[in-house]
Amino acid sequence: MSAETLALLLVIVTALGFDFTNGFHDTGNAMAASIATGALRPRVAVALSAVMNLLGAFLSVAVALTVTNAVVKTFDSNATSAGHALTVPGDELLAIVLAGLIGGIVWNLLTWLLGLPSSSSHALLGGLVGATIVSRGWEGVNWVGDGTKLDGVVGKILLPGVASPVVAAVVAGLGTFAVFRIVAGIALHRLNRGFRWGQVGTASLVSLAHGTNDAQKTMGVITLALIATGHWDHLDSIPLWVKAVCAVAIALGTYIGGWRIIRTLGKGLVDIEPRQGVAADASTAAVILASSHLGFALSTTHVASGSIVGTGLGKPGASVRWATARRMVGGWLLTVPAAAIVGGAMWIVGHLFGLAAGSVVEFLVLLAVAGYLVARSRREAVGAHNVTDAWEDDQPLPLPVPNVPVDLVQEVVP
Amino acid sequence: MSGAFVHDVRLALDAIWKVLLASVLLGAGLPAVFALAIRSLAGGRLVVGRVVAGVLLLVVAYGVASGLLFIVASGQGKDISFAHVIPVISSPS
Repeated sequence: MSAETLALLLVIVTALGFDFTNGFHDTGNAMAASIATGALRPRVAVALSAVMNLLGAFLSVAVALTVTNAVVKTFDSNATSAGHALTVPGDELLAIVLAGLIGGIVWNLLTWLLGLPSSSSHALLGGLVGATIVSRGWEGVNWVGDGTKLDGVVGKILLPGVASPVVAAVVAGLGTFAVFRIVAGIALHRLNRGFRWGQVGTASLVSLAHGTNDAQKTMGVITLALIATGHWDHLDSIPLWVKAVCAVAIALGTYIGGWRIIRTLGKGLVDIEPRQGVAADASTAAVILASSHLGFALSTTHVASGSIVGTGLGKPGASVRWATARRMVGGWLLTVPAAAIVGGAMWIVGHLFGLAAGSVVEFLVLLAVAGYLVARSRREAVGAHNVTDAWEDDQPLPLPVPNVPVDLVQEVVP
Repeated sequence: MSGAFVHDVRLALDAIWKVLLASVLLGAGLPAVFALAIRSLAGGRLVVGRVVAGVLLLVVAYGVASGLLFIVASGQGKDISFAHVIPVISSPS
């Protein structure tokens, strides 16, 4: 086996690993609210989300070969044949992509261990930024785009990252406020059934959109690596097996369920009830679809988190646990630099050992780190059984409770 | 660098207000319509309430179906326009 083929194989396996972490990292974006309100039992929710992701991934035939271009110029979009489309030599591309993917996976696993929702796309792009800085220098990174469209680290990562949680919070806040005003005075048991159905519908929509968007990124990365090594020469299609394995990887990841992250999103920020769940999920779905329609790519994670905070702000008398929100924002700010440091370090390791041996060493390092983080997670396991337990910071309520929510009183006194 | 940065910010602001407008309409508006439907269902056993609820739920269903159609169309690499209420799918220009 040639060095290039070995590196290609490791890139494919690592890309699928990334796709898998992308799946479980984002299960909560679609399902945290439904699980928290009891609209769906935890196992059912992750299974539904997995099926929707699988469907979504298969639905996407659009070719995302330009996915890495956001931060590193690797692909000429105006090229007419695959052989001339790459702007970096094939082995250089493999080295950057492998190091970048590992940076993304390590950050995804670390944030999962800490129960922090964070953007998988930002982690991947961050890893690529790091690998590019050490291999091609500061100038090799596409920082701000060329002014004709939103591009580069600023246009694709920084600005959407700042804007999306705020937009989502405003939308979910308004939605929650309106919903509570409209159904005020109606007994809760009459409401919750209807709103739980609303939640299941909107959450499924979010999962489907996630499968279409996110699986496409891994498909793009793998196809790019295949083009770089001369194994594929079409620009307008991707190999069917690539599509199939990527779809299965993201669906399996989703089904495993990132319970630690689901718990933070569903219980750690706001105590959600079905009316808020509908507003949060509808806001997430609307913001994601509207932004991708307008070509302003947002991270599902930032949108979903913003929606949940917004639904806490919009409900009269509800509170948001800002300590959790602050931790999450801290994680978001660190995502790109941290993934970049890992990606850069991995590229240097690979460079020291040469393409073949280096790729193997990088892969072994990844396995060791992943094994450690997973073993560490066993100490305080979070799973379907305890995902909706009360949040630890909760203080026991002093009795008698003076300010019982109005709905509860109506529930007891018809 | 700074010129391009300012340009990026302007492009982003241009996109953000459109996203915000569309999302408020759909992401906050549709749940409100859904809530109205549930309210008219809970209002009693009057036929009027049920009819009103049915119409409102149809509006919500239209919104959800449009979203679904949008995901499918963009997954296929097609453009989709909602300018004429009924979604129109076309190949990208």
